[in-house]
Amino acid sequence: MSTERAFVTAGAALLAAATSAAQEIPPLPPPGIDLPHVVLVSVGGEIATGCETPLERVGCTSGGETFAPETWTRDLPDLGLAARIRTEDLRAFSRADGGAAPEHWFGLANRLRQLAEESEVDGVVVTHGADGLADTAFFLNLVLPTRKPVVLVAAQRPWSAVSGDGPLNLYDAVRVAADPAAAGNGVVVVANQEVHAARDARRTSAYRMDGFGSVDLGLIGVADPDIVRFFTEPTRRHTHRSEFELAALPEALPAVEIVAAVPDAPGRLIDASVAAGAKGLVVDGAGGLSGGQLEAVRRAHDQGIVVVATSATRGGRVPETSALRESGIIPGDNLTPGKARTLLRLALTRTSDPTEIRRFFAEY
Amino acid sequence: MPGIRAAALAAFLLPAAAPAQELPVVKLFTTGGTIQSLGKDRLKLAEYREGRIDGETIIEAVPEASRLARIEVEAISAVSSTRMGAEQGLPLARQLMTELERPEVAGAVVTHGTTTLEETAYFLHLTVRTTKPVVVIGSMRPWTAVSRDGPLNFLGAVRTVLTPEAAGKGVLVLLNDTIHSARFVTKRHTYHIETFVSPDVGPLGFADADRVVLYRSPITRHTADSEFDLDGIEELPQVDVVYGYQEASRAPIDALVKEGAKGIILADGSPAYRNAVLEAQAAGVVVVQGSRKGSGRVVLSDRTAARSEITADNLHPQKARILLRLALTRTTDAKELQRIFNEY
Repeated sequence: MSTERAFVTAGAALLAAATSAAQEIPPLPPPGIDLPHVVLVSVGGEIATGCETPLERVGCTSGGETFAPETWTRDLPDLGLAARIRTEDLRAFSRADGGAAPEHWFGLANRLRQLAEESEVDGVVVTHGADGLADTAFFLNLVLPTRKPVVLVAAQRPWSAVSGDGPLNLYDAVRVAADPAAAGNGVVVVANQEVHAARDARRTSAYRMDGFGSVDLGLIGVADPDIVRFFTEPTRRHTHRSEFELAALPEALPAVEIVAAVPDAPGRLIDASVAAGAKGLVVDGAGGLSGGQLEAVRRAHDQGIVVVATSATRGGRVPETSALRESGIIPGDNLTPGKARTLLRLALTRTSDPTEIRRFFAEY
Repeated sequence: MPGIRAAALAAFLLPAAAPAQELPVVKLFTTGGTIQSLGKDRLKLAEYREGRIDGETIIEAVPEASRLARIEVEAISAVSSTRMGAEQGLPLARQLMTELERPEVAGAVVTHGTTTLEETAYFLHLTVRTTKPVVVIGSMRPWTAVSRDGPLNFLGAVRTVLTPEAAGKGVLVLLNDTIHSARFVTKRHTYHIETFVSPDVGPLGFADADRVVLYRSPITRHTADSEFDLDGIEELPQVDVVYGYQEASRAPIDALVKEGAKGIILADGSPAYRNAVLEAQAAGVVVVQGSRKGSGRVVLSDRTAARSEITADNLHPQKARILLRLALTRTTDAKELQRIFNEY
């Protein structure tokens, strides 16, 4: 049996269960009701993946494959309660695990920008592999010049899994994208009935249901059974308030590498990154750099390389201490190393002046 | 050694002192609580007398704050937070508004006992018409304790008041370097330093060693954008909270109705409440469905709407009480009350 046929079988069984008396599909609104228009863009991910059996719930053990976005509208007609849906298949932009490959970030961003500029589009939902979602979301948050809701959504379990989170996450993502209150808040991540700001959202579990959180901070809204409700808004610059212009960015962003700050580490990984052409470095640590690493940072600074520090504690900011100031290393606020890297790559397209880079890390 | 370090840190953080008359004014309103308490010795962490330390003592203990602002003290009360209520809250809100209208006043800090701190903070959040920062602080350890948190909370509050981004964000609560919105914050532990949290939503920001950062703005209505007006209000309608649990009897609801309560907040429920609530509503008492769970909203349903039950969103029962007391000064209409619970 081919994987696709096997999935269809498993999916049909689930669908049969879903349409039994216990799970009635609510009636759709009659034609003529003016629902918001949401484009449902698939980059793939667990949420677009069918496995052979429903008990494969941490990825498919025997292959499985992603399906076209029409499967969602067929399996989950309830989406039509929240919005008029148009689907778009961008799985070509994904890597094996279903996340947008960074080399396709620009392709994805450009297409999302076009969609957001269409006057009849009210919001966009992008499905994505849970891995890497937070990084893609942050990139889009920095470069998409739109006030319309752009919602990234993932699932912790495959679409075909028993008690899979995909259907409710997808339904909630469409509701958020269709909600005028979501406009202007930047790119958001919807998972587990929560709405998180792209800047602060992180994957907090590899496979449990509470897979995303905003560590130290918290959600900005909820997709509750009755309503979508926002409580706060992010204050850092994003989307329509960002100074990065998508059209003006070079296709190849400046190279930035991430190096772990380890007490007895030699400086050679830093030297090697610089020799390989890195224009910036993110050093991630909890106890500061080793002597060898500090010397390598000095050598990097001599060549005009910008160095940003993030905290491996994964909670709290990197405070601007006098020692850090003397070392010329720029604090990476409370960003994860991956997000600090993305911001630094974008910032380096504008400047390599440390004072100006500092401003980027304080404002974004 | 610690003294030398503190001096070095202050020199790093703080600008050279400007002449006092050029500094912005920060009002310090004191109401009492653990931050103003006196223990027998420094290891008495949980036994102390509240309200024995005055505002001037706090200011003298943190001279760094006076290099940032001219701090003026107003003593409102000197009690533990369980004695606080509208009796202190109404004059506090009025005095805040009067003082914050002075152009030289940058904002205000309010000391408060921690147990009901969130209630007074939310009351001020709903009633003080200002865009200037108001920061409510307390402390988890008595003023006299070893590793006391009061002085740093006070300094963090003054720094927060002087942070331009803090304006327009409503009333803030600061303990343990963490800045919360009065709307979401609650006390989650009886005595630990890390006690105040905003369940689900998280804090707005932090008063960190190097700078004050604010990552979030609350979008619920508050302060300058609030519809509640204290003009002419001398007292607030009686509203009480009834706690739900297995086999809870209807007696508390009946008693409150008899006593003249105008509103009741249910913190979850009990089957016995069903008829008691219907009778209370028939007698003109407004009933709001809250939750004792501490996190998450009470969702609106067709069934609760049909019963004219108002839901408390994610407000904790003690804060739903504050909002209902203010709302009842304006309306008793169920739809209008639900709108208020959805917006504030």
